[in-house]
Amino acid sequence: MSEQHPNPEPAEAPLEPLYTHPASPFLRTESTAPKHVDMPVLPGVASTWVTYRTQIEFGLAMLAYLMILVGSVTVIQSNPNAPWRYVVAVLPVVPAALVLSVFVRALTHLDEMQKRIQMQAFGFSLGATALLTFGYGFLEGVGLPHLSWTFVLPLMAILWGVGTAIFTLRYR
Amino acid sequence: MKNRLRVLRAELDWSQAQLAEQLGVSRQTVNAIETGKYDPSLPLAFTIARTFNRRIEEIFEFGERVPAARGLAPTRAGL
Repeated sequence: MSEQHPNPEPAEAPLEPLYTHPASPFLRTESTAPKHVDMPVLPGVASTWVTYRTQIEFGLAMLAYLMILVGSVTVIQSNPNAPWRYVVAVLPVVPAALVLSVFVRALTHLDEMQKRIQMQAFGFSLGATALLTFGYGFLEGVGLPHLSWTFVLPLMAILWGVGTAIFTLRYR
Repeated sequence: MKNRLRVLRAELDWSQAQLAEQLGVSRQTVNAIETGKYDPSLPLAFTIARTFNRRIEEIFEFGERVPAARGLAPTRAGL
């Protein structure tokens, strides 16, 4: 007799007004606030390129640097007296400049907190490198073996990485 | 500085990553701001305020560092 349908179709069901029931541990309640962000889903390859672009470019530039360095050294070793040896010897500087440009561009794209972290990490690596090289220099003065200057840059890079880790953790 | 960023973000049901995308910063930066470990620059604070459609002082509240935590007497804290 009743005209009420016990189970109205979903389309005919009245729209649920906002906050019909209070939050309850027994009833599943969900916020009706609209979800504003519709994030576009990029295909996997594009997102890898977007996310790791700097790392990929840096890796490729370093690879080019190492290949040209090895090639240059090999060529010069077999032609030690050629008049063009200066040109070949300085050739690895070109991919090294590429590495530098990738690096500088990556720095400009950092956000403000990342820039601050990098500034502190660079300061740390500069100071710590100075400390360590001067310290070892004093030791060389009293007889420890002489180390090549080429150790300075790797040392600085390692300390820069350590500094980045330290100062990143500080903001976590 | 104290802020209500986490609450406002939860109201919209955004993740830190989604908010970071909106603001053009990294997720780590959003996290550091929320936990009060990093104070955003004025331009970023304005961007945050505009994102949530509020005024800056509705989101950020200036709280002085507690002098006792640094072992300084209150009168000397300003020195």
